[in-house]
Amino acid sequence: MSDSPKRLTMEELDRLCRRRQAAGLPMAAYAGPLARHVEDGDRRLLKLQYDDSAAALRLWNFLLTEEDRLHAARAAGKKIVGTMKDLGTVPVMAYAAPNLVAFYPDGAWWTPCVMELSEGLFALAQSLGLGDALCPVRAMAGAFVNRAHFPIPDLLTCSVGATCDDFSAVAQRLESLGYPILWWEMPSRRQPDPGEPAVTLPGGFCAPESQVAVVRSELERVRVALADLAGLPLGDEELAAGIREANRVRALLGDLRRMAYTAEPCPMPALEMLIAEMLAIHFCSDRAESVAVLTEMLDEVRSRVDRRAGVLAEGAARLFWVNPVADLRVMNLLEDCGARLCGTEFLFCHALDTIPEDLPPMEALARMALADPMVGPSADRAARIVRDARALGAEAVVVSRIPGASHCAMEGGVIGRIVRQQIGLPVVELEVPPVADPLWPTLKTRLEALVETVLERRLR
Amino acid sequence: MICAGIDGGSRAIKIVLMECGTCKVLASGVRDQGVHHERLAKELLAELLKKAKLSRRKLARTVATGYTRNAITFADTTITEITCHAAGVRYAVPDAATVIEIGGQDSKLLRLSPDGSVHDFAMNDRCAAGTGRFLEVVASRLGVGFERLGALAHAAKSPAPISSMCVVFAETEIIGLLASDAKPADIVAGVQASIASRVAAMIGRGARPPVIFTGGVALIPGMADALHRVLKVPVRIAPKPQMTGALGAAILACRQAAADRVAM
Repeated sequence: MSDSPKRLTMEELDRLCRRRQAAGLPMAAYAGPLARHVEDGDRRLLKLQYDDSAAALRLWNFLLTEEDRLHAARAAGKKIVGTMKDLGTVPVMAYAAPNLVAFYPDGAWWTPCVMELSEGLFALAQSLGLGDALCPVRAMAGAFVNRAHFPIPDLLTCSVGATCDDFSAVAQRLESLGYPILWWEMPSRRQPDPGEPAVTLPGGFCAPESQVAVVRSELERVRVALADLAGLPLGDEELAAGIREANRVRALLGDLRRMAYTAEPCPMPALEMLIAEMLAIHFCSDRAESVAVLTEMLDEVRSRVDRRAGVLAEGAARLFWVNPVADLRVMNLLEDCGARLCGTEFLFCHALDTIPEDLPPMEALARMALADPMVGPSADRAARIVRDARALGAEAVVVSRIPGASHCAMEGGVIGRIVRQQIGLPVVELEVPPVADPLWPTLKTRLEALVETVLERRLR
Repeated sequence: MICAGIDGGSRAIKIVLMECGTCKVLASGVRDQGVHHERLAKELLAELLKKAKLSRRKLARTVATGYTRNAITFADTTITEITCHAAGVRYAVPDAATVIEIGGQDSKLLRLSPDGSVHDFAMNDRCAAGTGRFLEVVASRLGVGFERLGALAHAAKSPAPISSMCVVFAETEIIGLLASDAKPADIVAGVQASIASRVAAMIGRGARPPVIFTGGVALIPGMADALHRVLKVPVRIAPKPQMTGALGAAILACRQAAADRVAM
């Protein structure tokens, strides 16, 4: 743990890593200098700034070694499930079987950013007819074609319907290339009609019981496929145990977010918090290690909070951030401009909520899946953002758009309007492409101006 | 106590020298932007100081704003053009509620609080279609001086519809219009309407009056009318609209200098 936390360049972080190795300090087997990933093409790492803690070093190594982990799992005879357009439901089910490993092929959308477009995944996607009118998730199709990243899964599942038009288009093209997909239908969440039997979902939304039943029956088909692939029963008992383990990850993330986003001074940088939150989706292909990584992160944050040690000066403008950024460097930028995160809604807030353990597991999973912010009205999403931003003491809201992502095109305006109306906070929309360097001056101006606005509002 | 505000825009550098106690503008000037942003700013500042019979040592504080603000390393601090335009407009039009600023590089909308500070703001994204750059492109394509655009637009009988969302495509569209004998005056008026509609899209539902128009593009006759037509509220041009950012920077420099003095 560091006495005086600070942000480091990759070279500085690697020096720290080597010193720890030389001193024989305990480190995860997959840990090492990040420079080795730059050699593999992850050039963006050179331009990021990192938290200087051992916990953050472990987090980065865990993230960057996922492909190795997947290849090792295959070599060990485990079956691999690609859970597409699924932010946290099927992975919970898959990890309930001891010989299945689930991952999120859609995560390849980060690859063009981390590799600074050098890999040509977008060009490959373009050659398949998936151009830049679609979300950067189209990079995934390229990764299936060049086979240079993740191993080709033994089973591919994909939720479709109310989830994401862009992703459906990409996944349909993938299927046409000879990758069979188990599609499962997600209805568009709606308010129950008067008198219609309804249930409250994790996170607080309401939905008709009939919609939950539809999702449950769809997930039953997924359960059968997973059990067939595993060659093992995937009964309620196994699923309930899987839910309990997933909830351990979610509880750790809940504690981490609560502490990191509310403590003053800010105890953990925005970039590491974004990476940590992403573990909720599919556990970065190792659920048990996710628990260990997050536990160490939480310990580090707790220690810093106890010491009042922060990575930023006290009083940084408190921003609530909506949507993940395609270019990770923007998370550093917000801090360079004098702001900090005080809350987030990265499109998978339902994967941070506790899955009910007092319900039959399939019912609990169906309710959780239906709580996905993307499958309901934008106003629902805005309502949750308003609630969380208010509770976390946000002073401004940033809606970061992903170029080409159809769900981002209109939602920003709706969210902005509702936030302004209900809590009167300034809202700024940013568009962050996978490599945002050409837009740096304008992004910087917007964030600096937002910080200036927040500081002036404090004086009022 | 004398302070300076420097607005390093993409097309021009503007500087205001202000006497802090009285908020009196002692000198102001504009120079075309070039490659060496800092050198040009230094030269213009020296010229204005000479004009005001002041020495550089008299400057208590200098604030730089605008697109090239970070290149002006001799400034004591930088503040974004959003905050500076709000301060500049507040000085000139105390009851302003909404500010539209259209410069060479981007356009901005500012919603002001009753005390004149920024309540919220929006900027155009990446495209030059809502900025002065669009007018530069059309002036070049029509072979007329930038300063003549307003007079041309005034003579328009039927503004040409410009539907392209991108300046590059719009230029192609203009070539097509010229080929079909559209009048240059109608093309300029069409471009002004196109810029105005992009700004209106940024504003969303309703611009709260009084709406004040600043930035270099406000100097072009016809633009305020084009904005008025799409926004359906009167649009007033700020006094010396090109200088508003520099004026705001000078005001904020004075505030900072006063705060420094209190702290000492």
